[in-house]
Amino acid sequence: MDIRGLLLATSEHSGAADAAPLTTLDVAGKSTLQRMVERLQQYGISQVSAVVEDAPSVGPRNFGLPSDVACISATPDRFWRTAENAFNEMAQNGAELVVLVRLGAYAEADFEKFVQFHIDRGGRVTQLASGPQKLEIFCISASRRNDAASLFRTQLAHCRIECPLYQDEGYLNPLAGPRDLRQFAIDILTRQTQTCPAGKETRPGVWIVGDAKVEKGARVLAPAFVGSMARIRAGAVITRCSSVERHAEVDCGTVVENSTVLPFSYVGAGLDLAHSVAGMGRIVNLYRDVDVEIVDPKLIASMPVASGKRLLASATDVLIYLPRLAWQGLFSSAKAPQPDLRETLGQTSPVLGNAAGFETSACDTEASHKFPNMVVARRYGHQ
Amino acid sequence: MDINSRPVVVKRMPERLNSRTAREFLRDVRPFLAADRPQLVFDLSLVAQIDAAGVEMLLRCMSEAHKRDGDVKLASLSDQAAVVLELTRTERLFEIYETSTEAARSFSGFLPNAMRQQLLHNKRSTQPIAA
Repeated sequence: MDIRGLLLATSEHSGAADAAPLTTLDVAGKSTLQRMVERLQQYGISQVSAVVEDAPSVGPRNFGLPSDVACISATPDRFWRTAENAFNEMAQNGAELVVLVRLGAYAEADFEKFVQFHIDRGGRVTQLASGPQKLEIFCISASRRNDAASLFRTQLAHCRIECPLYQDEGYLNPLAGPRDLRQFAIDILTRQTQTCPAGKETRPGVWIVGDAKVEKGARVLAPAFVGSMARIRAGAVITRCSSVERHAEVDCGTVVENSTVLPFSYVGAGLDLAHSVAGMGRIVNLYRDVDVEIVDPKLIASMPVASGKRLLASATDVLIYLPRLAWQGLFSSAKAPQPDLRETLGQTSPVLGNAAGFETSACDTEASHKFPNMVVARRYGHQ
Repeated sequence: MDINSRPVVVKRMPERLNSRTAREFLRDVRPFLAADRPQLVFDLSLVAQIDAAGVEMLLRCMSEAHKRDGDVKLASLSDQAAVVLELTRTERLFEIYETSTEAARSFSGFLPNAMRQQLLHNKRSTQPIAA
């Protein structure tokens, strides 16, 4: 039987009108879109197409999807028309059933049982539900184009016929905002989901993608994830279900605790990033439930997405590296020793210029003098 | 000993605290910081944007105040200011209060015990004796 998958990703939940959909953001190395494609393919639905809402100025992108997945970008005003055309094309090319998934929520449905239920009932459109909540996941008989059209034209709100519901009790995350995105990362890292983090589990609970760079003196404590080409500088600590996504950089001495650093983001030196989602020049603090724009690139900055610009930046770094070493060799008396982790954590951020290096009280306890690592152990665990 | 004569200066911080506005703010508060045992409260309720230069200025004020045996306390932190102070590990260096009034009151609350006894004694001696 020819069963195909059609994924729809809209930017409804991303929070900004011109932003890419939340479902295209990486969580523990892969976007929800990629994870759903993988899931459909695991269930034998090999021919999958994705329609992704995107700004017209950006141009076609494939959002990291494999080459065998057709990815169609559509502007917001043409999105539903494009989705309907994609469905019709599938029907014309011989599909008998189409599993239609609108990504917003991420649901780990058992697609085999779902499709079997649809076939057994002989229905035209079957909808998936999790408890009382109806999900925007449908199994549609491809020959029933008018039923499908009624769905697309109402943005999946109504079908012209009564859709039988199939109950599924699998994992569900509504992915309605940064809090859900963070929870999704926690669930993946703590194995609450069937989907796994990308990359290799280098230690129990620690996933580091091969080309990520964790400098000497940096600590990645389980459960945690470091994505492709990410860089964790000396003295940094990544802990408590934190996820540093691809091409992100965490500078020296910064503690990332129960947080997500979005792709292509830079987190400055000597900072404390906790209970947050950081990137794109913003921090969403989940503890305070506030979204803060950070204008200072020394704190949070965006890195160039284009590989050419990144290459140029790296080349500049390489070019100034040798002269800087020579300068330091000539004019500095002795090499400054690398500070102890406890000392680093006990001081204010070096980005504060003249005010950097203030002793903070968090590590200055009587017990901390007797047991040098005690404060770190209490605060970050596993040490 | 007149321990109530030292004023507590409450200063509201600007909406955007970058290097330029921080410099201006520092210029405004410098006369108060130069006083003997300065007592300052910065109200951050209006702060919508604060960068590293703004935090540096706060620390500089605190440092100046400590040199003269005084203190700088923060009050009514906006969410934006609170997030940046936490991010830069500076929130633990300051005493932070819900309102400026509480912050101002706290200066008398942390008097050394000997001075508090003296204050209590003065208050009692000025009260009329019941017939």
